[in-house]
Amino acid sequence: MNAAAQHPLVRDYLKRLEKAAKDLPRARRKELVAEIEAHLSEALPPGASEAEALNVLERLGEPREIVAEAGPGQAPVRAGLNEWLAISLLLAGGFLFVVGWFVGVVLLWGSRVWTLRDKLIGTLVLPGGLATSAFLFMFVGSSTGSSGDGGCPATRVGLHGAKALNASNGCTSSGVDVDYLFLAFGGLLVVLPVLGAIYLGRRANRLETAMP
Amino acid sequence: MLRIVDQGTLSQLRRGVIEYCVLALLRDGERYGFELVRTLSEVPGMVTSEGTLYPLLSRLRRAGVVETSWRESTSGPPRRYYRLTASGRAVLEAFSGEWASFRDAVDHFLEQEKAA
Repeated sequence: MNAAAQHPLVRDYLKRLEKAAKDLPRARRKELVAEIEAHLSEALPPGASEAEALNVLERLGEPREIVAEAGPGQAPVRAGLNEWLAISLLLAGGFLFVVGWFVGVVLLWGSRVWTLRDKLIGTLVLPGGLATSAFLFMFVGSSTGSSGDGGCPATRVGLHGAKALNASNGCTSSGVDVDYLFLAFGGLLVVLPVLGAIYLGRRANRLETAMP
Repeated sequence: MLRIVDQGTLSQLRRGVIEYCVLALLRDGERYGFELVRTLSEVPGMVTSEGTLYPLLSRLRRAGVVETSWRESTSGPPRRYYRLTASGRAVLEAFSGEWASFRDAVDHFLEQEKAA
């Protein structure tokens, strides 16, 4: 960082600028902040007085005013059918021969509503969505069932079915601890993709409510 | 005669022409951001806050009428230079012609008003 940016007034100003610009697309925000920083280092010699700094910042104008100028230039971005389809497919598209989830990912990354961070979260929590939950659920269910009970067939498919099936097959339960762990794990598996979808929905709505 | 000039109207007018003023400043060669901004703000009545010119420069760049390049400076950090593209030059030419007739038309009525 250059000498001018070390001035406390300048540091405070740049902090306010970053905050005001947080909803701009990443590249635009970085460009704007870099330009303003360059401006400040040109306008303020190292060791500039408080009065000089105040004058330069006054001429620049309020960060909010500057960011407002950066706003209207972009095409209005709002959540539409595309975004809701993306969220639905990310959540449940995995059941559509797995391909559905990938279509959701393509829609997610193609949308201009979400930031890079949103897109990463949307993709990684949880890849495959509820279909992955269901798959892991069955997989874990069958493996704990067989490892814990020796000869029991891998029949655990769901929370409600597990005990009944075990009982009818004459198997004893593999233990309360495993069951609770299983429940917690299963719950997490269902909750994660749903939380992911809610997050994306809220992020998409944020722009709609921000519209005048 | 209006006693109070409507600030909203003035700022609308300014907004409408300032992009072309930037293009005109680049007609004879490239300039770096700070240089452009200070040149514009030194003419009274054109710029109310210098900072708002940077989003405007970004818009012009994305519209393809100017292009930028970073260059080392002898007296500090690297500078970002702006220069007109061919399409920027064409836009500027077109506007210059339109502006001349627009200005003449407005003057025509303003002068008439005065004479009456």
